[in-house]
Amino acid sequence: MCEPLLRLENVTKRFGMTTALQDMSLDIFSGEVHAIVGENGAGKSTIIKIMTGIHQTTEGRLVIDGTARNISGARAARDIGIAAIYQEPMVFPDLDVAENIFISARSGWFLNQAQLHAEAQRLLGRIGIALDSSSIASGLTLAAQQAVEIARALSQDVRILIMDEPTASLSAHEAKQLRKVARTLAEEGVAVIYISHRLEEIFDIADRVTVIRDGIHISTRPIGDVTSEGMVSEMVGRDVGNYFVKAPSTVTSNSLLRVEHLTREGIFSDISFDLMQGEVLCMAGLVGARRTDVALALFGINPSSSGQIFYKGRQINPSCAREAMDAGIAYVSEDRRKLGLAMPMSLRSNVSLATLRSFVGRWGFLDQSLERMTALEYRDRLNIRAPDVELSVGMLSGGNQQKTMLAKWLRMKPDVLIFDEPTRGIDIGAKAEVHALIREFVANGGGAIVISSDLPEVLAMGDRILVMREGRQMGIVNSTETGQETIMRLATGQASVEAA
Amino acid sequence: MTKGLNGWIRVLVMVLALVVIVNSSLSEEYLSVRNQINLFQLSIEKVIVALMMTLVIINAEIDLSVGSMMGLSACAFGWLFQETSLSAEWAILVCLIIGMLGGALNGVFVAYAGLPSLVVTLATLIGFRGLARVLVEDRGITDFPEWFDAIGQTGLIGPVPFSLFAFLLLFAGLYVVLHKSGFGRKTFVIGTSRDVAVFAGIDTARHKMILFIGSGMVSAFAGLLYAARVGAVRGDVAFGFELDIITMVLLGGVSIFGGVGSMFGTLMAILIVLNLRNGMALLNITGHIQTGVIGVLLITSVIATRLDLGRFRLRKENAG
Repeated sequence: MCEPLLRLENVTKRFGMTTALQDMSLDIFSGEVHAIVGENGAGKSTIIKIMTGIHQTTEGRLVIDGTARNISGARAARDIGIAAIYQEPMVFPDLDVAENIFISARSGWFLNQAQLHAEAQRLLGRIGIALDSSSIASGLTLAAQQAVEIARALSQDVRILIMDEPTASLSAHEAKQLRKVARTLAEEGVAVIYISHRLEEIFDIADRVTVIRDGIHISTRPIGDVTSEGMVSEMVGRDVGNYFVKAPSTVTSNSLLRVEHLTREGIFSDISFDLMQGEVLCMAGLVGARRTDVALALFGINPSSSGQIFYKGRQINPSCAREAMDAGIAYVSEDRRKLGLAMPMSLRSNVSLATLRSFVGRWGFLDQSLERMTALEYRDRLNIRAPDVELSVGMLSGGNQQKTMLAKWLRMKPDVLIFDEPTRGIDIGAKAEVHALIREFVANGGGAIVISSDLPEVLAMGDRILVMREGRQMGIVNSTETGQETIMRLATGQASVEAA
Repeated sequence: MTKGLNGWIRVLVMVLALVVIVNSSLSEEYLSVRNQINLFQLSIEKVIVALMMTLVIINAEIDLSVGSMMGLSACAFGWLFQETSLSAEWAILVCLIIGMLGGALNGVFVAYAGLPSLVVTLATLIGFRGLARVLVEDRGITDFPEWFDAIGQTGLIGPVPFSLFAFLLLFAGLYVVLHKSGFGRKTFVIGTSRDVAVFAGIDTARHKMILFIGSGMVSAFAGLLYAARVGAVRGDVAFGFELDIITMVLLGGVSIFGGVGSMFGTLMAILIVLNLRNGMALLNITGHIQTGVIGVLLITSVIATRLDLGRFRLRKENAG
């Protein structure tokens, strides 16, 4: 391990006036799992894009196998042996596994179908994944689709595999399997660049860790020399004292929302719980537990087929979002891009989106100056980092988009707020801020339902935790009397408790 | 909405200025009030419908049936006038109701049945036209009351005809609706992402219904103006107008994917198309070449929108 496979030498990347990377130097060796961590906007994506040929460096150079090379585009990156997989796998939904793996193979590859499938099976076997090479991609789980992507990279003789938040949408079990695949590849001599917000993963898999902040290289260390606290404080540039520290509970005895035997035929059944004023009720479970479906039933998007919902003692039966909102229930979606924000539109228009009525005066006129004032107020209150509220939200970082979405719903002043994966894919600083906002919301008399796949978060945030598995309620546990293992046992169906 | 749209509108303003300068150097008659009114008059029905179409396309839908609805409304007026004892005033009212019902028919299928508007309005394009032809068969119907023809043919105030006032009034009204009202904001949001709108508690089906009814009524109104201006109706009134109308809207920078556009952009595009055709007519350039030139302009506008989309995506990535 003397000659690095890939070296970034004093790379600077500027976009107009902004500097995304400043004098960045980095060595990647073959056979190592090299984790890169940093807050959103730190420059991780820019590094990936330079390595995969999407962006060119402004200054500095890339050295591959000891010679300076210019990666001019995606094709050049592939020829060198650089491939990247992302949180959202890029597969062709209507093609089968083998066709997806060999999608860009030259025509010489297609000797016959049997050989294609045999070769696909061999590649999948190499990473230890059991998958039928003739299954259609759209029917596969996200994890399997990622395996297909990895196999595709292998078919192109990958030497550097970049994994960008690959486990963000996976269940704990699937994530573990994916990490095993990454480990296997590293042992075969592939350099794996691993980017993740989940610090425990980094400790599980990485050989070395590089911390970057604001486009600047902070440190590169062997994993053994790194502590979780040290890494976090390097990432944020300050000590984050209260990361995942349990806030004092504010639970009262007033029921806000009472759900009895809620069922949606074929999706989930027999969900029952009480949400108290001042309470954070977390919903835990693996992918496919149908937590979001329960939330959508409460929010009126996909109404339940049987069971009752009582809101402050009064039975409600929301059949669209408007009815749920009129009662006082809001839902912060996990999918910012598709369901949460009108990305090309301004911060101002997005903050007012759920409460548009209150900005419309006589004759239907929109009070745009009130709208602007409101947006500025929420921007400052929620610490949304945007120079102006006329900026389109698509240009903000993930954490700031998330806070914009919260602003939109907090403006509605709901009593019950359902958060669906509120901290997925956002950086630690923004996470802590979102946690504080949820706590503030319930302390002021609201009740929050938080769907989260991040178990440390669930235990830190929740007063009680409702665990679901495949559409069924496995139990409700008190967060002070339980640990991650108990929740995992419930979520995987190895145990169940009586509903509290 | 976006920098790209504003950039394109600046280009449109410059193109318009260029056309006006070149035209006025070609002919002294060009800038006369009579010629300016005349160039509007010749396409007034199309440009009126283009105003409403702007909202429909920003909402990420399309209404291909507008030309047929203009024809149906004009023919229904002729038929009612000739075959029934209904007075022309009542016939006008009935035609507007036909426009409302036709628009509602489109709206029900698009907004509530969830069918793509391209298909639904293609079907009603055929259906409305068929109905129009059934009503008047092979005849031409003429001899409308004098006051009715006068609406289309003479000045209401000075030389300015009623239809031009209607156009300006509709422009002002829709400008306020699209850019200053809650309804307009919803039009943009739904056009950007219907799912985001649904999750924000917006009744998107009702919104689309209103827009299609509006489109039907404006088309019916424009059909009546056509009947008044020409003083006669036949089964092929306004045949193929939908393409010219949609061309003007897209030329104005409205995105065919919805969510982007402005009334001012559409107005600029209308002025360019009308003045360009007028200027080329002054140069004795044939209609086919005129159409070709406008086609080139349209492609340029689409490319400009694309480039803007690309730039937007790039910036978004830089932020993450």
